[in-house]
Amino acid sequence: MKHLGSAIAAVLVLLVGSAAASDGSVAVVKTVKGPASIVRGQSVVPAVANERVFQGDTLRTGADGSLGVIFKDDTIISLGPNSELVVDVFLYAPAEGKLSFVARMLRGTAAYVSGIIAKLSPQSVRFETPVATLGIRGTRFLVKVGGE
Amino acid sequence: MKRLPLALAWCGLLLLASSCASTTKNTVVLQPDADGKTGEVVVSNRGGSQVLTQPGQITEISNAASAPSTPAQAEPAAITKTFGPALAALPDPPVRYLLYFQSASSSLTPESEKLIAEILSSVKTRSSTDLSIVGHTDRKGSRQQNYRLGLNRALAIKSLLISKGIDPSIIEVESHGEDNPLIKTEDEVAEPRNRRVEVTVR
Repeated sequence: MKHLGSAIAAVLVLLVGSAAASDGSVAVVKTVKGPASIVRGQSVVPAVANERVFQGDTLRTGADGSLGVIFKDDTIISLGPNSELVVDVFLYAPAEGKLSFVARMLRGTAAYVSGIIAKLSPQSVRFETPVATLGIRGTRFLVKVGGE
Repeated sequence: MKRLPLALAWCGLLLLASSCASTTKNTVVLQPDADGKTGEVVVSNRGGSQVLTQPGQITEISNAASAPSTPAQAEPAAITKTFGPALAALPDPPVRYLLYFQSASSSLTPESEKLIAEILSSVKTRSSTDLSIVGHTDRKGSRQQNYRLGLNRALAIKSLLISKGIDPSIIEVESHGEDNPLIKTEDEVAEPRNRRVEVTVR
């Protein structure tokens, strides 16, 4: 029981600590073209410039759509048309030693430019696709999932 | 050079055999950083792993159990065709300003003072609604003291920017204390270059 209690406390600390921004957002939408949205739990928010992105959100674009976001650690991710990416984990609190970024690409195309988490702790960054996991050593890359 | 088109043709053949539709082939292409250097991407799955180290290198992964293909040089035209829209959607990188204080004082150095005007104009030209102010210290003193010191300096810059007309709701203040140095040092080493406030306009 004691262990369970401390485990719960640890999770709580983790959750509170994950709020990098005062409003808990982890990224901001900077570019949008065509149909693009943010899926948050049961709701779907249209992606417009300056819209906040939160941990757990799914970024989604339709045909002819595209979207670009900048995360709190300066990681940049953009999506081409018919794409979907889940922001599974984003923890950016260097002073608390908490750094973690896990993004999961479900379909489509993306461009990625690494930020400070990758610089401070490369092993804390993971980019997943349906068939592989990408480890990042301070860099830019393009990824495509599925399609023709 | 011919890897991508070949793969597409191969996929077309497979499609005729009606097995391609169910696979999700993945492609990863390494690109050079803005500063001209190139990092590395390690692509792994149950089948094995490959490391991309050269700009323009590409690897393809056909399923979770087959190792990524041997890195090859991607064809620029094919890259543009596939990734053009995603690349065009990449936002301009955030702009970062390093502010330094005069020693044992809460006033900025004259050089840093001049940067304030640049910060203001950058917020305007980028239509930014996301500005972060992060205080940093060197490793002299305790970790906790440094956290507080970094926070106080960041808060001083926040007040300054608000007094110049920046909307407080777009500002986020943090301290990274001694944990995010520009120059890595041993503990208890004084390093003036690490005692800074970073203002990032996204």
